[in-house]
Amino acid sequence: MIDHLSRRTLLKGTLATSAGGVVMNWGDLFHGPASVAAEASPTKKRCILLWMNGGASQFETLDLKPGARTGGTFRPISTNVAGAQICELMPKIAQQMDKLAVIRSMRTSEVDHPGGIYLMHTGYRPTANVRFPEFGAIIAKYNGREATDLPNFIKVFSQADAGAGFLGPKYQPFGIGPEGSLPPFSASSQSPEVESRRYQLRSFLEETYGKVHRAETSKMHREAYEASRRLQGVRKVFDIDTEWAKHSELYGDSVFGRRCLLARRLIEEGVSFVEVSQSSYDSHADNAVWHKALVPPMEHAWAGLLVDLHQRGMLDSTLVVWMGEIGRTPNINNRAGRDHYVRSWSTALAGGGIKGGQVYGESDATGVDVKDNPVTEGDFFATIYSALGIDPKKENFAGVRPIPLAPFGSKVVAELLGS
Amino acid sequence: MTHRSDDRRLTRWPFAALVVLSFAQSAWAAPPLQDVIDNEVHAAWQREKITPSAPSSDAEFLRRVSLDIVGVIPNYDETVAFLADPSPDKRRQLIDRLLDDPRYAKHMAELWDVLLFTRNPPGSEADKREGLQNWLRQRFAENTPYDKLVRELLKAEGNSIEQGPPLYFVQYRQRPEDMTEAVTQTFLGVQLQCARCHNHPFEPWTQQDFYGMAAFLARLQIVSAGKAENQNKLMVAEKSTGDILFTGSVKDDKPGKKGDPVAPKFLIGDPLVEPPLPEGFKEVAKFEENKPPQPPVFSRKDQLAEWITRADNPYFARATANRLWAQFLGRGLAHPVDNLSDANKPSHPELLATLARELVEHQFDLKWFIRELCNSQTYQLSSAGPESDPLPRWFQQARVRPLSAEELIDSWQVATGFESSLKPDAKKKDGRFSPIDGGYMIRFFGQPNTGTGDFQGGLHEHLFLSNGPVSQLIVSSPGSLFDSILKSTAPWNERLERLFVSLLSRAPTDEERQKFSEFFSADEKMNPDRLRDAIWALMTCSEFRFNH
Amino acid sequence: MPDFTPQNPKQVWQLPFQNRNEGAWPMAVAFLGSDRRIAAGDRDGRLLVWDLAEPGDAPSLEQQQKTPGAAPAPKQSLVGHTNGISRLATTPDGTILVSASFDRTIRMWDAAAAPSGSVDVIVDHELRDAIAKKSGKKTDDATPATKVESLTSTHTLEGHKDWIDSLSLSADGRCLLTGDQSSLVIAWDVAARKERSRWSGHPWNWVVATALTADGETAVISEYRYKRDDFDIPCPALKRFHVADGAEQLDLLKVQFPKLNPKENTYGSAQVWRKFVANGLVALDISPDGKLVAAGQGGETDTGHVHLLEMETGKLVRTISGHQYGATDVKFTADGKFVISAGRDTVIRICQVDDGKEVAQLGKPRGGQFKDWISAIALSPDQRTLAATDIGGWVHIWTFG
Repeated sequence: MIDHLSRRTLLKGTLATSAGGVVMNWGDLFHGPASVAAEASPTKKRCILLWMNGGASQFETLDLKPGARTGGTFRPISTNVAGAQICELMPKIAQQMDKLAVIRSMRTSEVDHPGGIYLMHTGYRPTANVRFPEFGAIIAKYNGREATDLPNFIKVFSQADAGAGFLGPKYQPFGIGPEGSLPPFSASSQSPEVESRRYQLRSFLEETYGKVHRAETSKMHREAYEASRRLQGVRKVFDIDTEWAKHSELYGDSVFGRRCLLARRLIEEGVSFVEVSQSSYDSHADNAVWHKALVPPMEHAWAGLLVDLHQRGMLDSTLVVWMGEIGRTPNINNRAGRDHYVRSWSTALAGGGIKGGQVYGESDATGVDVKDNPVTEGDFFATIYSALGIDPKKENFAGVRPIPLAPFGSKVVAELLGS
Repeated sequence: MTHRSDDRRLTRWPFAALVVLSFAQSAWAAPPLQDVIDNEVHAAWQREKITPSAPSSDAEFLRRVSLDIVGVIPNYDETVAFLADPSPDKRRQLIDRLLDDPRYAKHMAELWDVLLFTRNPPGSEADKREGLQNWLRQRFAENTPYDKLVRELLKAEGNSIEQGPPLYFVQYRQRPEDMTEAVTQTFLGVQLQCARCHNHPFEPWTQQDFYGMAAFLARLQIVSAGKAENQNKLMVAEKSTGDILFTGSVKDDKPGKKGDPVAPKFLIGDPLVEPPLPEGFKEVAKFEENKPPQPPVFSRKDQLAEWITRADNPYFARATANRLWAQFLGRGLAHPVDNLSDANKPSHPELLATLARELVEHQFDLKWFIRELCNSQTYQLSSAGPESDPLPRWFQQARVRPLSAEELIDSWQVATGFESSLKPDAKKKDGRFSPIDGGYMIRFFGQPNTGTGDFQGGLHEHLFLSNGPVSQLIVSSPGSLFDSILKSTAPWNERLERLFVSLLSRAPTDEERQKFSEFFSADEKMNPDRLRDAIWALMTCSEFRFNH
Repeated sequence: MPDFTPQNPKQVWQLPFQNRNEGAWPMAVAFLGSDRRIAAGDRDGRLLVWDLAEPGDAPSLEQQQKTPGAAPAPKQSLVGHTNGISRLATTPDGTILVSASFDRTIRMWDAAAAPSGSVDVIVDHELRDAIAKKSGKKTDDATPATKVESLTSTHTLEGHKDWIDSLSLSADGRCLLTGDQSSLVIAWDVAARKERSRWSGHPWNWVVATALTADGETAVISEYRYKRDDFDIPCPALKRFHVADGAEQLDLLKVQFPKLNPKENTYGSAQVWRKFVANGLVALDISPDGKLVAAGQGGETDTGHVHLLEMETGKLVRTISGHQYGATDVKFTADGKFVISAGRDTVIRICQVDDGKEVAQLGKPRGGQFKDWISAIALSPDQRTLAATDIGGWVHIWTFG
């Protein structure tokens, strides 16, 4: 664990010289022991998003159609939940089925990648008028810690670019590269002495300017500068090499497995939202072959993550979301592929706030349509927010327009909630 | 438009007369546009019970208007001269001077280049755009009427390198649907993209509207005209036959289903009347390369270009006025600027109507329009004040917007005297963002690029500012800011003034003088490292980062 | 061995082999001893045998394509596999058919055995549906299925725990080699139906193709696995082995790329081999004299080249331009003079080994970028008839000379 408090004490000296002003985002530090105690016992839930970029096929993962015209090549296997079967490519997840709530009745409204990626990160369709925030930014805002050295919203190899939207730069995601590298210029190039001198002057300038210029842009600029400085102290959290040696078996020897371990580590350090992505599910050609290549390392890491979180007592406070932006067609095209499909597809939730060991909703015999309990993107996000203890009806303002977290009219799927 | 004070009427009279004489007779009695702006904005304040901020100081105004018109902060000498200038109409003079400055055309061209192509054009042929950029620069330098500029762009004559305009369509790779979306959104403020796949849910647009517009561009073909400097010269040719096919709603689409041809039809207008093809007409099988393409019997594309830019097009003037307003005032009267739909009502509908009408009456004279905007009291308000929205809806406080990547590098260079370190010709060779890698500048500062706010900077930008190559700009060659301060024997106060005026276009306050003197006097004599620290802090602080 | 002549190719038969199940198209084909007896398997595990009349008695192709019943119906259904048939091979005497399957088993069939019963088979759904549609119905559900003889396998070879993607039979009919998607290769003694040896490649890889020399002593194995992520791309392999003990003799890919590091799985490391391997060298054959190996680039890829490499040194002799969008199968003719390849460009190409020149092309690109690719080919023992399956659900038969 990073010792936040001692670092703070250390930095306090620097702060005191900077004309005595309260530096943004450090408010808690100076406001007595209560907030420190609150930080030390985090009660707010966190979230890991496992993102199947390109859209994993429900027929090859969570919603098998054995014997149906549309079933494809893979066979179902049993799980540790009686009656629930999933794809043979997922033997390890089959043993964690008691932790999962699989939704087999997703019905969403953006059938292409850019729209779908936006939709399944924000809950809203893209419009020219409003820049909706990703749910990572929303979770960072409502469940993130005010005083933290690590950004509250971290993405590993993400393809989404809606970012913080109208929530502003404070909740912008911090992006880690596909192989775990920190973004460029993350390492300080200055000696501590020079850095602290510069900081002193910058803070002074920001403060005097901020006194009369109240536009929030400069406040954001200031806060982001602070965040970039604090990051220096926690860079080693991102280095998972030592821990990987001990965990590679649990997570499976894959790049996605490493990403998942990093996600667990970041959550453990208090980050409120981490997205971890795996590429290449857009199987317009050779659907079966691609899934046979992509699913096994993914499901190994997914299962490993659930086990690891569980063993550390963190699963109850960490929601693990599994999804891509779209599902795939019941039909197989003449490239042996499955195309985009959002009329009926599958996602899965596990951990914090979710009642595991269940399959919710059902698609029809061939998977062409939802048979019962359709779940829209709005319902899905309303449920996620509820599971995390955030009221999905809460509103933010984009300009003067109030925007609820989950789109107006969304319903929370109560059956999915519990513990 | 009634409460104009008499003294202002007097000072403005000669200018207004000139405008009236050179343009429309009917405008004789009309007040100058800048007054209409102020009156309309003022009326809204009264209605909304809003107190505006104070007028800007000269220094604040100088920095703002320089960035807005020529895309860079004023240098030390310009600032000192302007602040010392006693003439009462020095702001007006400054605006005129800046509009005549060659950097105006360069700045406008850069803004429009990114607007037309974005930072990542859809087709890689448009990654390099020097020809088009030159063309734009020339058009702005000549103050080509905006309608003419757009018409030329959309007619796409010549090739993509020697002339430029064809590159605009080339980037969409013969996809008329994509072209249609872009053209209507950029030039008309009409967003048809939803109607591409289904009838628009809350606008009047149907799929037939969309494909009716796309039909104008369905016959375009990209033809090679050889190579120049390792780049393909590309031309836009147009066939005389061929239709866009409409297959109905995407959700009902089935493989193997062929669509029905859609005839060209102007948006909320009539179907295009086309002359019949001559008897025995034979279509060009394939356009020959390296030859000016044979023109079509009847050009649909040209008809579209004419219709879009017509004075009585219901959208064009409004969209243009709104966009220009936003460029200088931070947000559109209808905001975002490229959405003039009924669902997105303008904040000041009558003002927008007047701006559009006047723009038409002044034959889309951009410099005239910008002059009016910048001379308005509204534009010249201070950005200091209690309003936290950087783009206040009622324009009661000057907007705060981030500098674009181009503005930032140019301003850093001016402030630090970077030019002094260059050998002749060196800059040209090293690229637009020298000495910093352009990829980084675009990555960290490239968005937003509309010149209108929406600050998205996060901590990545600061990692770059703190640990990246920004310090390469703090050069120590003779004539540089660093050198002149380090070597100076002048008293602290003067040196600090030079530092602040060079970087922030204003003198330091007493508090700042004290703070910085203390900072420097920690060492016995001027410590060059501390000077670097100070320059860095002033280069990266909010006051520099934003146009305020 | 008779010579192969690529002159005057003529398509005589076009047998429907359609399946209403999505993606369940024919994937494998073989001759059973004669040029008039054919077996083909589909991705559902259906394995059918047809007996063909004299070519001279064939109805017109158009009739076969459009009229149900015009083309011969299957004679037998070989029942047992529960998942897709990936490859078929026949012993030289034509008595034993061997099938490899995604059901993880290999089955052996005695083509001359007495039928065990009969089953209903429909192979011309699409033809029937097209006719039904004309009378306003969605699909044809009235026409009864064809009753055909059913046959069970004589033996099942078990040992693989994953999909079996590849199968080769030595020309002497004694050695069988199979490879699965856990990178396991097993060499079998055909007569004894016992394992001779087994070995494994990189644990992440799939054995996507195998080839055997005529004497069954030497094998070439192609390993590939589609990427696990854009930044997690296993390194493929193309290696020669001694069959008796599974000892590796030559790393043919390393010969092309001395810097190849099989342990590397980064995006950068994949750039080393990507151009040569494309999406896997999925089609493999060894020339009858054992001197050359042909390796075709498969998966969906722009190039679909076929490489000819020296068995001894691994040196690249030449690359045949091949099949845009990917090669699927490759075979040397018995005289070793030609290489016949099939691909996703819907065409079969016959090229001279000596200079790579294409001397004949069977079929035409069927329009569109992707259309009913050819999934497998087989050449009759007398070298005068060629059979091919396509994913549109047809078995095509050509004759030469």
